[in-house]
Amino acid sequence: MKFKCKVCGYIHEGNAAPEKCPVCSVDASNFEAVDAPAAPAKKGFLGGKNSNAYIVFYSTVMVVIVAALLAFTAMSLKERQDANILGEKKTAIMQSLGIEGNYDDVVSAYVVDANGDVMSQYNGDDALQMLFDLPGAYAAGTLPVFESKADGLYVIPVTGKGLWDDIWGYVALKSDMNTINGVVFAHAGETPGLGAEIATPKFWAMFPDKTIFEGNEYVGINVVKGGAKEGDNHAVDALTGGTKTSIGLQNMIKDSIAKYVPFLQKAMSNNVNE
Amino acid sequence: MSNEVKEALFSAKNMQSLTNPFSRNNPVIVQILGICSALAVTVQLKPSVVMALSVTVVTGLSNLILSLLRKGIPDRIRIIVQLVVIAALVILVDQVLKAFVYDVSKQLSVYVGLIITNCIVMGRVEAFALSNKPWPSLLDGIGNGLGYGVILVIIGFVRELFGSGTLWGVRIIPESFYEAGYANNGLMLFPPMALILVGIIIWVHRSKNTDLQEKE
Repeated sequence: MKFKCKVCGYIHEGNAAPEKCPVCSVDASNFEAVDAPAAPAKKGFLGGKNSNAYIVFYSTVMVVIVAALLAFTAMSLKERQDANILGEKKTAIMQSLGIEGNYDDVVSAYVVDANGDVMSQYNGDDALQMLFDLPGAYAAGTLPVFESKADGLYVIPVTGKGLWDDIWGYVALKSDMNTINGVVFAHAGETPGLGAEIATPKFWAMFPDKTIFEGNEYVGINVVKGGAKEGDNHAVDALTGGTKTSIGLQNMIKDSIAKYVPFLQKAMSNNVNE
Repeated sequence: MSNEVKEALFSAKNMQSLTNPFSRNNPVIVQILGICSALAVTVQLKPSVVMALSVTVVTGLSNLILSLLRKGIPDRIRIIVQLVVIAALVILVDQVLKAFVYDVSKQLSVYVGLIITNCIVMGRVEAFALSNKPWPSLLDGIGNGLGYGVILVIIGFVRELFGSGTLWGVRIIPESFYEAGYANNGLMLFPPMALILVGIIIWVHRSKNTDLQEKE
């Protein structure tokens, strides 16, 4: 025997109508008996619309079509999307330098190796492309550097891990290779209102005029929980409620810039000689 | 179906599918659906408009596609089929936004992806598209998307104007006002104010449409 729910059309198989419809929760009085043919006539090669074979076939075809459609869209739009992301990175670099204008006119880029020597086989575009996979670029021993054409300030791209996901940013140094000119940070998935505050101008405003060297020794920037001491040139306040992200940010700055220290020291002595 | 009288494309009944959601059957202020995103993305006018258009595209196309498929969809997996179609459309919209209006797409962040869970979309598919022909379904989807969008745009307009003194990023309230002591309403920038605005819209709407009021 089969019973059909008059409200939602659910079909129950058994000797009596169910007490409650599992789909729409109405009681047994809403069920009516339907005469089930002893063996439902098979329609087509897959059977009827509700046969298992039809359902499996239907889902498979649907998934393949949707997957192909989405893959095609993603591929065809990727170029534009990457251009947008690149534009955002360019803006962030200029923002950390505190300048505006057309990126190509005001910023030059190149790649240095772990000893701080410029690698002439890479050009400015390669340096920009490396920003898409900065950890990979670091691992390959290639370090992209950006320089403002007007006043020779350097921008060091930094990358690390926050609490949940990647964090990255740009640290612009003044020509003494020690004092921070400005910073921009971004994140992929930190907690809104807590860790995500690293991406706000309010947080960035603490960084200018801090220094990353103590004498000749590289110390980086400490992000201090409870607030940096007054007059401490190497520390900023941590984020309230964003301690893990703050620690991640501190490590990001320390580890990333550490790779550039040979380059910075060379640039520093060059500047002294000039 | 051959003896069925062919209905005109813009017959009164079809037009009702399109226009009813604007006022009498508005998804946000009558059915109280999609409130979450209405609070989240309406700080400024531009994301509100983009969100409104995105939802309209998704409701319209999902209604159309599922109405075309409705006779072939196995009943037992119809919700899954609906979800797949809606999710695919939302991903398409998200990809297009990322490619063409990147800054807005960053502002909308997760809320574009969350259109999938917007009750309006699934609700219209289940309630209308699966039992109606493609053309009325398309109209119904567009109508509901726009009915949702209209509320978003109203809230976005008020919140940006009084919260930031701008519209579409352009300064509207002149500097002289600020010098004379006018200040932006900071509460406007927070979601609770959007909820209050929705409440005010519902109040005005109900006092105009007395038949919507519950009998005492």
